[in-house]
Amino acid sequence: MKVFKLISRHVVLAILSVFWLIPIIWLVATSFGADTGPNIRTFFPQEWSLVQYQTLLFGVDDVSQFPNWFKNTFIIATFTCIISSMFVLMVAYAMSCMRFKARKGLITFASTLSLFPGFLSMIAVYFIMKSIGLTNSNIGLILVYSGSSGLGYLIAKGFFDTVPKSMREAAYIEGATEFKVFYKIVMPLSKPIIVYTVIAAFLMPWMDFIFANIMLNSGLSENKTVAIGLYAMVDKVRINSYFGQFCAGGVLVSIPISALFIIMQKFYVEGVTGGSVKG
Amino acid sequence: MDEIKTTVRRSAWDRFKAFLYLVGEFFAEFCRDIRDGDVWVRLSLLVFGAGYFARKQYVKGLLVTAFQAFVFIFYPTVLWPYLSKFGTLGTVKRAAVFNPVTMKNEVNDYDHSFMILLFGLIAILVIVAMLVFWVKNLRAVRRLQVLAESGKKVNTFADDIREMLNKKFYITLLALPSLGVTLFTIVPLLVMLCVAFTNYDQTHMVPTSLFTWVGFANFKTLFTHSQTITFGYSFGKVITWTLIWAVFATSTNFIFGILLAMFINNKKTLWKGLWRTLFVVAIAVPQFVSLLLVRNFFANTGIVNTICANIGLTGFLKQIGLVSQGSAYIPFLTDPVWAKVMIILINMWVGIPYLMLIATGILMNIPQDILESARIDGANALQSFRKITMPYILFVTGPYLVSSFTANINNFNVIYLLTNDVFVTKDQMLANSNAQEVDLLITWLYRLTQNYYNYKMASVLGILIFIISAAFTVFAFRKLIQGDREERFQ
Repeated sequence: MKVFKLISRHVVLAILSVFWLIPIIWLVATSFGADTGPNIRTFFPQEWSLVQYQTLLFGVDDVSQFPNWFKNTFIIATFTCIISSMFVLMVAYAMSCMRFKARKGLITFASTLSLFPGFLSMIAVYFIMKSIGLTNSNIGLILVYSGSSGLGYLIAKGFFDTVPKSMREAAYIEGATEFKVFYKIVMPLSKPIIVYTVIAAFLMPWMDFIFANIMLNSGLSENKTVAIGLYAMVDKVRINSYFGQFCAGGVLVSIPISALFIIMQKFYVEGVTGGSVKG
Repeated sequence: MDEIKTTVRRSAWDRFKAFLYLVGEFFAEFCRDIRDGDVWVRLSLLVFGAGYFARKQYVKGLLVTAFQAFVFIFYPTVLWPYLSKFGTLGTVKRAAVFNPVTMKNEVNDYDHSFMILLFGLIAILVIVAMLVFWVKNLRAVRRLQVLAESGKKVNTFADDIREMLNKKFYITLLALPSLGVTLFTIVPLLVMLCVAFTNYDQTHMVPTSLFTWVGFANFKTLFTHSQTITFGYSFGKVITWTLIWAVFATSTNFIFGILLAMFINNKKTLWKGLWRTLFVVAIAVPQFVSLLLVRNFFANTGIVNTICANIGLTGFLKQIGLVSQGSAYIPFLTDPVWAKVMIILINMWVGIPYLMLIATGILMNIPQDILESARIDGANALQSFRKITMPYILFVTGPYLVSSFTANINNFNVIYLLTNDVFVTKDQMLANSNAQEVDLLITWLYRLTQNYYNYKMASVLGILIFIISAAFTVFAFRKLIQGDREERFQ
């Protein structure tokens, strides 16, 4: 009876995980198929081939410019990552470890701001960007992604809140400045949350669809990011010639992204729950 | 119950009174500074840097005066032309005018309503900021005077810089991020809030046309239901579905995510890490890939429909009336009811692994000694779940639950990526106001701006989304989550 329970427990898990993985399996399978459009006859492709990857990477045309998209997104992600990680950690430290008159007010104000749909302000940001000629450019998107990133400080602040006050106080007594405490004491203790912040900032441009879609309206394929480019491929008029390439592109971005995502989750759990650094 | 209410109301009123008191104090101190200050302090009202020069803080004095000069030159030349037209948002329409000198048609010097709105707002913000700076500057100068007269050391410029890395380090830290938030969130939001009170839409597109203030007309439109205006009808439908969606999306993910986490975390489960990874892989794929894929998976002519037809499921559903007789396929994402159910199910597919991850972290953190002592006291698994595990999870995830509810109200990705281009509404009244059965407020807002350029109604919707989210958040934090946990672990 015990054995039966043990087996059934794992059978349930196996069925569930198959259920969760079916679309992913379909994605990978289709990407290795020969059909350009969606295969609607069988689950697995009737003919296996590498042609989708080949055309995606080397057969660049008006619609499909995957190498360009990847390059754009990578540049945007790198700069966004640098700027917004710095912003997030700076704001989080100020809000968590320092005490000043406007602090409570600023925290309330920031959480009020985040209740507005971010997309609403993006409409006006689009016009501002347009007036200085930065739509359809990497710089414009970097600014859009990193500009307001300081508002996303809460998770890092939550972590800094758990760094014992006594450690900082000991440093103050020895004459350390606040700046020294920031980068010599609190930062080295905060590795999990720094890694989390950096990866989260890097992933943002890869995952975002809505902001990029507003900023990139020229229709020129070479300006696009991966998300916007791939979306255009499954458009009603293009899907029959590009679905195979969409799947190949999806696999290619998903590999690095999901690896980073899994690392990020690990550090998130460590940062939020772990007592490892609170020594 | 009533007692709680009155305390809440009183505290809000008290806070308001405290705020008024602070504002009053701010100006009272300003007057005191003028009264008690010497001639240099008073001169600082005109030349901002004067007070610093008098105390030999030359660099600071120069910087402040240069800043003042910059604003005073910049303001009338760049910002005033916009601010002066703020009341009308422009009167000169763009037109081609014949220029007798060049003998050609040229574009006249037209007004651009949106730029007037944008820079007019910036001009107002600059005035407010300068006023505050003026008062604060006077305060600083007056303090310097007191410091100098009492014979204490007056900071040199180098001291001031050092201060910025020490006691005032927060200013250094917050300066750039605040600038970013001001430029990319606050100013744009204010602009869009203003747009809600204008007639900016497809027939008033800049730069070829002008738009102007219309007061609360758009808010009235949103609640109007007549032959020509169906916004009231659509708004009712969309907001109902938005709330139903938010409740279902949040609760299903929460409940099943925790159940899954507990199931995997159970002592009897082998290969815990493997199972977790399998589930996480599904959500690690970017949503625009996985959701666009799933939408083709469930397309009317898609693979799932082929399989369902082959195994006879389509025929069976026809027999029991869930699929209409004339249809050759199951309308997974094209029939309003089917689509809504599918969206909630697919969202579970996307969301449960997330919750599982979060819940796993929390479950590992539950103080084991409490569970152990409960077991020794004779509590069974169900009791210790109900009395210990569940309250603990609710306590830790309370704020997360609240924020995920508001995040779901604004969950653009799932709805848009699954239904855009696929779902077409057959309800004329909804179509009339550019809405669909499956729309959330946020996707409706998106379509209004991106496809129909109806910025005025989109802004009104944005304000309503804010009101709903804010009301819910305030309510939830008051009732569900008590106490300030901020300094608990410090």
